[in-house]
Amino acid sequence: MKIEFSGATEGEAPLTWGQRLMWRAVHLMGASQNYLNCPFVFPVYGRKDLSVVLDALRVLIERHEALRTTFSDAGQRVFRDGVLEVELVEAGTDRGLRVADRVAAEMAHIVFDHGAEWPLRCAIVLKDGRPFALACVFTHLAVDYQALALLAEEWKALLKGAALPPVAWQPRDQAGLEASDAWQARSARSIAYWRDVLADVPLDVFDHPPGEPEDPRFIEVIMDSPALAVAATRLSNRLTVSSTSVILAACAEVLAEVSARSRVVMQLVHSNRRDARTRGMVGTVGQDALIVLDRPEHDFAEFCRTTHRAALQAYRNAHYDPAAMTVMREKAGGHDLDAFFNDRRAAPGWPALPPDTDLSVATTRTYTKNAWPGVRFKVFFTVGADAGTGLLSLIADTAYLPRDTAESMLRSVETRLVGAV
Amino acid sequence: MTDELRVRLAGMIADASGGVISSDEVLAGRHTLSALGLTSLARISLIDTIEDVFGLEFDLSGDLSSFEDVDTLVAALK
Repeated sequence: MKIEFSGATEGEAPLTWGQRLMWRAVHLMGASQNYLNCPFVFPVYGRKDLSVVLDALRVLIERHEALRTTFSDAGQRVFRDGVLEVELVEAGTDRGLRVADRVAAEMAHIVFDHGAEWPLRCAIVLKDGRPFALACVFTHLAVDYQALALLAEEWKALLKGAALPPVAWQPRDQAGLEASDAWQARSARSIAYWRDVLADVPLDVFDHPPGEPEDPRFIEVIMDSPALAVAATRLSNRLTVSSTSVILAACAEVLAEVSARSRVVMQLVHSNRRDARTRGMVGTVGQDALIVLDRPEHDFAEFCRTTHRAALQAYRNAHYDPAAMTVMREKAGGHDLDAFFNDRRAAPGWPALPPDTDLSVATTRTYTKNAWPGVRFKVFFTVGADAGTGLLSLIADTAYLPRDTAESMLRSVETRLVGAV
Repeated sequence: MTDELRVRLAGMIADASGGVISSDEVLAGRHTLSALGLTSLARISLIDTIEDVFGLEFDLSGDLSSFEDVDTLVAALK
């Protein structure tokens, strides 16, 4: 099946700061860059004909330049017209959404050819011949998780036959804004903040030398802990700081313990959609913030407040030209900064958490989900987007953190949070 | 002048919150901005806006309580 699209615009522009961050990441990760692919499933609501579903997808592509863009060192190139191949997959006796998740995940295994391929791959999952879901994978150069949430809302509206307002802000507009004097000044201020922080922190995340890694070397361990969600919510309410800051504080303490250091330096993945114009933009806006925390002796509540203040300062300094930042970081000594924290929740809290969930850790489980040969993170904590349970994952470089240590770090985060309530 | 500034800041706070908080809620002053649901991202957006509009730069390394209430924010800007 093919979709022929014809948008209203075309043209070229430099990469945005968000795109530059991803461009660097896909090159650093090489064959493991499929880690950065974004699989996503759009359910088909109600009984819709295939033509309606294909039409909705066509409109999304025509509306959003990011979905008809190719990327190169030279910048972003937006095409007005094109053809996208869409595979049809019959679910058979399997559950439709499960098949859609599987198809999206399979498509996500394959690395994008960013300069020659559309930034999304799509398949429509059919159940008894009727469209059940649209399974997609996007390159992270085109979308972030906020963009996917925007697309999901538009998808729902388009299937209902609603007319959408024109898109007011596209990545090429963002690239123009970032070249302005005001935004260049903002970039310079952020880089100065990073320079000050880096002047007083170790070059490496860990002092100990690498050991014998697993094969593949990088693993993702996940903890499913309803108790973590309850504890973080209660602490957040009591301390009047975000649940993100509470979990970040616990992760930082655990990292400090494992690295046997009192000072912890982490990069925070930050959505960065603080400019109102970017809130409705389909694109990748996120950049990394830099936080430095000194572990207190006893008081976890006070550490949560300190973390919250430090995170605010870090987020504020997450608007910068990644190329200029790279130059500064190399001059500063080439710190690895390979410890990360990301909160993928679209909104604060866990609104779908069952109301009778308590602080019991009896149902907590940990499991390994993914492994890659070269994602290059030493420590990467991620709060999952599931609104019905507390999901915390840890990507670990097994040369520095053996699997058992990674699992016990997640459990230690839970223990700290539950114990502090 | 203070009333005018209060109303203007309340509008900026409402805009920064992306519609989660209304100007009226801010002006009523019955709850802190955190309690009303001002997220960290919205707070940074508010700081950006105030800095751009008033041509100043906040020091975020110290006490941030002035960002919890429109009246303390007015006082901080005077």
